[in-house]
Amino acid sequence: MPASWIVIGISVAYLAASLVVGMWPGRKASGTAAGFVAGDRSLGLIVMYFITGATIFSSFAFLGGPGWAYKKGAAAFYILGYGALGLVPFYFLGPRAARLGRQYGFISQAEMIAHRYGRRSIAGVMAVISVAAFIPYLALQIKGAGYVLFAVTRGEVPVWLGGALVYGVVMVYVLRSGVLGVGWTNTFQGVFMMALAWGLGLYLPYKLYGGVQPMFEQIAASQPEHLLAPGLTAAGDPWGWGPYSSAVLVSIIGFSVWPHLFMKAFTARDESTLRKTVVLYPTFQIFLVPLFLIGFAGVNFGSAPESADQILPHMLMNMQIPAVLVGLFCAGALAASMSSGDAMVHAAASIAVRDGGVRALGWKLDDATQRTWIRYAVVVVMIASYLLAVMYRGDLVSLLLWAYGPVGQFFPVVVATLYWKRATGAGVLAGLLGGGAVTVALTLYPAGMPWPLHAGIYGVIVNLVLLVSVSWLTAGSLTTQDSGYLDVAGTPS
Amino acid sequence: MTLRNALFGLYALCCLGAMTWPGYALFGNSIEPFVLGLPFSFVWVIGWVLATFAVMVIYHNTGDR
Repeated sequence: MPASWIVIGISVAYLAASLVVGMWPGRKASGTAAGFVAGDRSLGLIVMYFITGATIFSSFAFLGGPGWAYKKGAAAFYILGYGALGLVPFYFLGPRAARLGRQYGFISQAEMIAHRYGRRSIAGVMAVISVAAFIPYLALQIKGAGYVLFAVTRGEVPVWLGGALVYGVVMVYVLRSGVLGVGWTNTFQGVFMMALAWGLGLYLPYKLYGGVQPMFEQIAASQPEHLLAPGLTAAGDPWGWGPYSSAVLVSIIGFSVWPHLFMKAFTARDESTLRKTVVLYPTFQIFLVPLFLIGFAGVNFGSAPESADQILPHMLMNMQIPAVLVGLFCAGALAASMSSGDAMVHAAASIAVRDGGVRALGWKLDDATQRTWIRYAVVVVMIASYLLAVMYRGDLVSLLLWAYGPVGQFFPVVVATLYWKRATGAGVLAGLLGGGAVTVALTLYPAGMPWPLHAGIYGVIVNLVLLVSVSWLTAGSLTTQDSGYLDVAGTPS
Repeated sequence: MTLRNALFGLYALCCLGAMTWPGYALFGNSIEPFVLGLPFSFVWVIGWVLATFAVMVIYHNTGDR
């Protein structure tokens, strides 16, 4: 039927356009690992802004955000709430990391930390935690892309095929261009996503209920609990303030130390660019508002999708909406998935090779060989995530929230490394291992928690206690390496 | 610690308290009044995001360079 051809045509044209934009800069980056991974430290404010924003806004925001607002109501506001402060620590950490990166040639977080203490095992532990957190995160993006194609073709393209098609494109441009390709593609996709989210977020309430306020008044009359924090659980029971507040807190803690985000400190042109990116970040956060409006528009829609994450495509497919608009949505949701997925696969592969292989296991690789190995790792990570995406049956947001637990363990370690003279390698290692173990244990056995908080909160507390106490116990005299390192971190360039 | 940093830290703590229990539950958690068509519980969170933007702009521009 012609309408579905228009939808597919627009999506394909969009994928082709992002491929062209993504491949272009491949000519300019140098052929070294630093060129491939850190873009020769040359990204300016506009690209940095969109790379940071678009990396974070993913299928999680575009499908999971409306899904939560639709199913769990005000619980979704936690995403907006943590975003207010989430990037603020990076205002302070980012420039310090950037100075160290310039001085010592770091291109990853783990490298930066392991170097100070001269312990390869720290890089290894961080690489394992990072890759383990990235694979499910990437799987969500692939699944999100599959959902979109599945919904807009009314099931003609199955989820496994849709995911494979879209991520085939992503793999091509990541392999070709490295991080510069990611940067320019994200700029292009970021602009597009913002326009689309606002368009749909205002159009759907207007079309279905005659406006935003009439929509909310209707929800307030029938299900007032939907609009009051802390919202509802997936089963429709009231959610608690403990889980809500700790979800906000653990996300703020973990946000700025996500390895792919933290690596941006090493790609920025200068410190002022980094700081301005943080300052401007809340303007990107406001883009969640229309996405929540879309989800709330689904509450009294009448029919329900198979899973809450599909509420947006479900509404579009069941309304009299021009095929062009559906096609644009499809492209926008794919952009959301791809612009996060590309940065993640790139980060996971670089971390596995540079931190895991070169640092921790002591592989001797020259720059060109490293670049080749990173490309192999891209393919491996992609396949692992794809398999998980095909097998996983749960909802999109929950797994990401879970991944914040382990990632949050990096926060105390990064802060101590960049600021605290007395921190020792043994302390850092104890914090990472202890905090990580507690987080994983309590995630698997939530009954062991004294209060119903996010497991990552308990992990961070244990992490801090171990980091501080073991550092005190093992502190010798301050080595010259430590003081030189902290001098570099504290001296503005 | 400078006054600028102290004020900034104080703001961050207030914002965190306002986004979670108890600030959100006490002050921000009601449907009425609607602001620009949005329920107050939603506007409350949006307002703090915008306030953080304003505070970051001020903090950034009052720094030594």
